[in-house]
Amino acid sequence: MVLFGGANLACTRQEDTATPPREDAPAFDAGAPVLTRLTAEQYANTIADLFGDEVVVARSLEPDTSVDGLLSVGASVTSVSSWGVEHYELAAFDIAEQVMADPVLHGWFLSCTPAGATDSDCASEALETAGLFTWRRPLTSGELDRLVGLADAAGATLADFHDGLAFALAALLQSPHFLYRVEEGEAANGERSYTDWEMASRLSFFLWNTTPDADLLAAAEGGELTDTKTLVPHVDRMLDDPRATDGARNIFSDLFRLYSLDDLSKDTTVFPYWTPDVRSAAREETLRLIETWIFEEEGDYRDLFVSTRTFVDRRLAALYGIPAPLPNGFGEVRLDKSLGRRGLLGHISLLALNSHPVSTSVTRRGQFVREVLLCQPIPPPPSGVDTSIPAPDENARTMRERVQRHLEDPVCASCHQLTDPLGLGLENFDGIGLWRDLENEVEIDPSGDLDGEAFDNAWDLGATLSGHERLPACLVESLYRFSQRRSVSDGEDDLLAWHASGFAESGFRVKFLLRDLALSPAFRQVGEVSE
Amino acid sequence: MKTLSRRALLRGMGRTGVVGIALPWLEIMAGSGNARACGGLPKRFGLWFWGNGNLPEYWNPTTTGEGDEWSLSEQLAPLADHKAKISVISGMTVRVPNDEPHDSGMAGILTGSALLMNGEDYTVQAPTIDQVIANEIGGDTLYRSLQTAASDCTGRSFNGPDSKNPPETDPFALYERLFGDTFREPGEEGIVDPRLGLRRSVLDSVMTDIAALEGKLGSADRTRLDQHLAGIRELEIRLARLEEDPPNLAACARPIEPAGPFENVEGRTLVRERNLAMAELTAMALACDQTRVFAHFLSDPVKDILFPGVSASHHDLTHNEAEPQPECHDINLQLMECLADFLSALDSVPEGDGTLLDHCVLMAVSEVSKGRTHSLDDLPILVAGGGCGTLKTDLHYRSAGQENASMVLLSLIRAMGILRADFGTEDAWTDQGLSALEA
Repeated sequence: MVLFGGANLACTRQEDTATPPREDAPAFDAGAPVLTRLTAEQYANTIADLFGDEVVVARSLEPDTSVDGLLSVGASVTSVSSWGVEHYELAAFDIAEQVMADPVLHGWFLSCTPAGATDSDCASEALETAGLFTWRRPLTSGELDRLVGLADAAGATLADFHDGLAFALAALLQSPHFLYRVEEGEAANGERSYTDWEMASRLSFFLWNTTPDADLLAAAEGGELTDTKTLVPHVDRMLDDPRATDGARNIFSDLFRLYSLDDLSKDTTVFPYWTPDVRSAAREETLRLIETWIFEEEGDYRDLFVSTRTFVDRRLAALYGIPAPLPNGFGEVRLDKSLGRRGLLGHISLLALNSHPVSTSVTRRGQFVREVLLCQPIPPPPSGVDTSIPAPDENARTMRERVQRHLEDPVCASCHQLTDPLGLGLENFDGIGLWRDLENEVEIDPSGDLDGEAFDNAWDLGATLSGHERLPACLVESLYRFSQRRSVSDGEDDLLAWHASGFAESGFRVKFLLRDLALSPAFRQVGEVSE
Repeated sequence: MKTLSRRALLRGMGRTGVVGIALPWLEIMAGSGNARACGGLPKRFGLWFWGNGNLPEYWNPTTTGEGDEWSLSEQLAPLADHKAKISVISGMTVRVPNDEPHDSGMAGILTGSALLMNGEDYTVQAPTIDQVIANEIGGDTLYRSLQTAASDCTGRSFNGPDSKNPPETDPFALYERLFGDTFREPGEEGIVDPRLGLRRSVLDSVMTDIAALEGKLGSADRTRLDQHLAGIRELEIRLARLEEDPPNLAACARPIEPAGPFENVEGRTLVRERNLAMAELTAMALACDQTRVFAHFLSDPVKDILFPGVSASHHDLTHNEAEPQPECHDINLQLMECLADFLSALDSVPEGDGTLLDHCVLMAVSEVSKGRTHSLDDLPILVAGGGCGTLKTDLHYRSAGQENASMVLLSLIRAMGILRADFGTEDAWTDQGLSALEA
């Protein structure tokens, strides 16, 4: 099969210099295969990579749903609605027509000159290439024949070869082989493993959040992705590619729910600074710091919570009360202790997301720390319980005074003791994350403790959190779940502990963890199909 | 085509256990079942849902009975013009375990079953009532059912576990979808375009891919692809129908495009404006027989939208505002104003001897009664339209014995002309309708 014209030889890699993958992974239960729909962002990224940035992709696609805390898991659990089918069809034709109207966009797969409105040979040649890249595997001859039949029938009816090919292209883009990642594995030597083509997709969507490039597909064709020895250089190349930053941004956007900032509405009479560009700037700050931390600094994950380094534009600088580093765009700044703010928990993004539209929320902020950062789920309140917080009055002017009942009533306290003291530590940040010393003219007391470790204020809380033993283990668990796109079973506990110890040995470097998870035996092996 | 659609719909019913049968209207005219004729016009079903409950002490009417025997409560006052066409059912209980605040009640009232728990996550285990009914009567129109929302929410219309029908939240997008290029007024010819047939060939190809793939998958993924397949079949039938002449219904006419703007003002959702735009488009979609089933969501459970004129967001206020919660009261009044607007839009379309509203069975409901406590007792239920005389109107029925709320849903399903033995599961199961509501 000559799919890549013998052009670039993906196999000439520096195999000798690559760090070998870690050995002695413990036994584990390989999870059953999951059929994962492309998220709306993956769909858009894929179209841009295959056909060009200039192709407009409709914004109305099947909505993504978070399950087990991740859109990535939701994409493997939820079904496509008939509304979604309708909009996938519209998007497919919209894309196909744009692509077929412009030789620059379709030249890479249509290089023959059609003999007329129908030309089966030319259509076949074009669809073989377009099919490989859209379905991330070669088409079977039956599949190819069927698509050529569509192109011929449409070309004849519409008396135009390109219009006809657009219908076949639309069929490729509506197929389950494009819309879902079909990764079922195959049995060999008593265990089931993903195929080379499936590995190309797994690696690409995990590390890049987009479709495999030509090099990766060539490596799949060459059988290089199922053998650990030849797999390593491909993973290293991918982690050094700029697309790895897109991948990491997507992972943390999913994990921290930063995507919710898009439609996070606040009462602008209470928070006049909450404008649409602040929402996107706040997300950019967080993602830029994480991206820099992982790929440039290769820093310790735990230090993200005490980092005095961050990235702001003019608008955020004004909200933080510091000079803008650059007249336009984002620049790096150092936060002085006098500002009281450092680390991810001092970011406007996370503070605003975990607040109410008119006020802060000590419970939501604490819940974020517990559930997302420490992987400690908090149960919902029992039914029939009066959940109200008394309104501020003479005797209780601060949130700390008002939530006392949550912390004293035994029905409430069992859970609120876990969340509220952490949120109270962040009370110096208002509902959109701006600094305040006073609440209702009373000085805010931000002191508290996290599982027995005392902190004086938000600046300290970051340090206390960064020393919490669950913090790195939780990241390992979350990223593992993200990479597998399913909930984790008990049979994977040992493997998770092994990844966590590797993460610790690496100095808690996230780039190491991403590599370790991509090279994990769990990334290559798959369980039996569940009946 | 028709056989295919029927099969697809029946397949989608698998999980409900009981397969109901829709009666053609001729049989209904002949008097079988407990449904009556709509004078040759189709009967429609609507779900009108709002999140975060009500204040039962201000929402429930203090008098019971029919006609002059009962009068509207303070919070129902905005519905004064519609009193003759609504029935308020109070005092019913949703009999499911209240494990997850809000969502347990949502599953209980809309599906008659408890949530399906899966570790930390959960979903519904059965279709919501709009889909139970669409499975029976949705096959004869361009759209099986329509989902809309008056705020940025995700809705609660489910086909079954983890299979949600997202609502259209943008009135302009809804207009384009229903009344855009493919819309034909009565009397116009169907669309003559060879591309419609070619698009169906493409869908055939996609169905071949799905069929081949399903054999390799586990049961859960196969069920998911079945749902995808049902969506493709629905689309294929729709494309075929676009070639036919549109139904000849006197009240059908292309509506004017929504005026807008609908963007939030100072962080506040323009619920009333968005609700009204959706109501007018939905009314015309029904009048043109593009669909016979809709689900409209003012907001989601737990949704923290900021209503105009109040100091905090809805969910926040239900929990944190001091008694007697005047701002929650204000929001409830706004919600009932929105419901009144929706009913007015349906009632302003003349149809046969009455109006479109007379030919509807509309259920307005929330997922809890008092938001503060997440109570599932005394859930607010309001039925409008009377379903061509199958349901009583101008009624306040108050259950003295915390009867099972599923009884109301079974009555509504039967009022749609669907023969159904029972509704719900476990404690929420019933084989009895609420006879007080049935005409």
